[in-house]
Amino acid sequence: MTRLAIVISKDRCVGCHTCALSCKMQNNIPEGLMWNRVLTEGCDVTDGAQGTYPNLTRTYLPVACQHCQNAACQRVCPTGATYKDDKGRVEIDYDKCIGCRMCMAACPYNARVFNWSEPERLTQANYGDARVPVRPKGVVEKCTLCKERTDDGEKPMCVICCPGHARFYGDLDDPESDVAKLVRDKHATALLEEMGTQPSVHYFE
Amino acid sequence: MELLKRNKALTGVLAVLVVVGVGCYIAQLVGGLAMTGMNNGTSWGLYITCFMFFVGLSAGGLIVASSASIFHIKKFKQVAMPAVILSTVCICIAGLFVLIDLGGLYRVWRILTGPNPTSPLIWDICVITCYLVINIFYLHFMRKGNDHAVSIVSRFALPVAILVHSVTAWIFGLENAKEGWYTAILAPIFVASALDSGLALLLLALTGLRRKGIFEVSQDLIASLAGLLATCVAVDAFFIGCELLTTAYPGTEAGVLILSELTAGPTAPFFWIEILCGLVLPFCILVFAKNRQNSVLVCVASGLIVLGVFFKRIWLLFTSFITPDVYGAPGLISGSSVARHAQGVDSFAVISSYAPTAIEIFVVLGVLALGFLAFMALTGWLIGAGKNATATEQAAPATA
Repeated sequence: MTRLAIVISKDRCVGCHTCALSCKMQNNIPEGLMWNRVLTEGCDVTDGAQGTYPNLTRTYLPVACQHCQNAACQRVCPTGATYKDDKGRVEIDYDKCIGCRMCMAACPYNARVFNWSEPERLTQANYGDARVPVRPKGVVEKCTLCKERTDDGEKPMCVICCPGHARFYGDLDDPESDVAKLVRDKHATALLEEMGTQPSVHYFE
Repeated sequence: MELLKRNKALTGVLAVLVVVGVGCYIAQLVGGLAMTGMNNGTSWGLYITCFMFFVGLSAGGLIVASSASIFHIKKFKQVAMPAVILSTVCICIAGLFVLIDLGGLYRVWRILTGPNPTSPLIWDICVITCYLVINIFYLHFMRKGNDHAVSIVSRFALPVAILVHSVTAWIFGLENAKEGWYTAILAPIFVASALDSGLALLLLALTGLRRKGIFEVSQDLIASLAGLLATCVAVDAFFIGCELLTTAYPGTEAGVLILSELTAGPTAPFFWIEILCGLVLPFCILVFAKNRQNSVLVCVASGLIVLGVFFKRIWLLFTSFITPDVYGAPGLISGSSVARHAQGVDSFAVISSYAPTAIEIFVVLGVLALGFLAFMALTGWLIGAGKNATATEQAAPATA
């Protein structure tokens, strides 16, 4: 089996949001929506810090779809619009999405966003990769692990664009892949492991 | 139709509300759900609140009617007709709210061509459809006066009525991403609040119909229904107490957060009003036999219970949406900048919030008005016509 994944080094992430913006460009994401967000962990202001002076820490947490093996969103989808593909990715068939937003309630990572209105783009034109389908009003969307790129053997855009080389991409089921080694050697963890969703995306420090 | 003609002013007002509601819904279809206050953080709003609420109101009525038939409670059998009419109207309204809430109504046929059996929503659709069919059969057999058929239908009606609200609870109660929803007692809580809100609405409807001279009920019957209502309120309060204690006792981070939002956060007014005015006060009124003989007090208590259960739907739904499980700035992007009047950085929020827009409120009012009209039309048709017959029938058990 193949289990495509992104593994993120929290030590190397500088909180520049380049991954979030390159994702937005690549995937033609309209105004008001993001598939990938960089959170300042545990803070209510961006670039804030946790703890009490002088013992302060600041960590960034890039959050997108975690491509869970035991995906809560896939289980609750009434029409099967959300599905797991043979490469271990969680994908959406936009033609089947009825916009009930059950998956948004089920996802513990808030990775999913909804086209509340007719999608608007600042440029008034589609700026994304031509291979990426344009989503209509009334459907849910989220990180596809750059399905169109990874299908063609390219890396996801966020991995390519990260200036700090904090993001790694590969197949977790291949023990010799970079990501499998990182997860093994760096004791990488997943977000909200206690939820039992078994994410493919991992983080290490 | 008799009832509609006799109350021309009321019918007119309701018809206007329906027209306004339809207009607002068309605006929502054109502009998308951005016309509502919902956003990526709080992705369900007033429509889903009303959906839960009306499934409950509906189940309550049918549970009373069918248990009367199954357990041979002669007294309660008299109110079976208005109870089942109420139940039918409420379940149609509930179904309507789900359809209104969908972002892609024109793709809804996908549910039939590719249902996902692990989705609680699919099962809810199945159970609600069965339930509606049973309601219609129930009405049909009651109208024909076929007691044998009624008693057979009621044996299916009771379990399906309990199931319909349990499956609705599981839409929420099976999601472990939401601390405030994920509990095994959610289905029992939903059934208990279905019983008390449904029964309270039935009492309000019976009093209204009696005042209009459409349907005669003895004060004794009202009083014993009110006694049953007091029991249901107590059971509801007990379940809620169990849930709150289980959430609070271990002192986990997530549990403490939910409880602090519930008792002192944005949903706190709904929580406290529900506890005090929806449970404690009506119970204190209805627990005394003397008060149950007073139809004004019974109506006040019933009104408070219906309102309280509606508030419960609000705090139950929204409290779990407030703080995302993965917390950090800038938080969630709203996605619905039309409703929020926010762009750029302002469209992000660390804590999620929601307020219904005027369009949402008018759509809800329109649906409520439509339900009211349907109830008036159906009671006029099914009760009004055979009024004299039922009145004489009732005289016998009342004196017995």
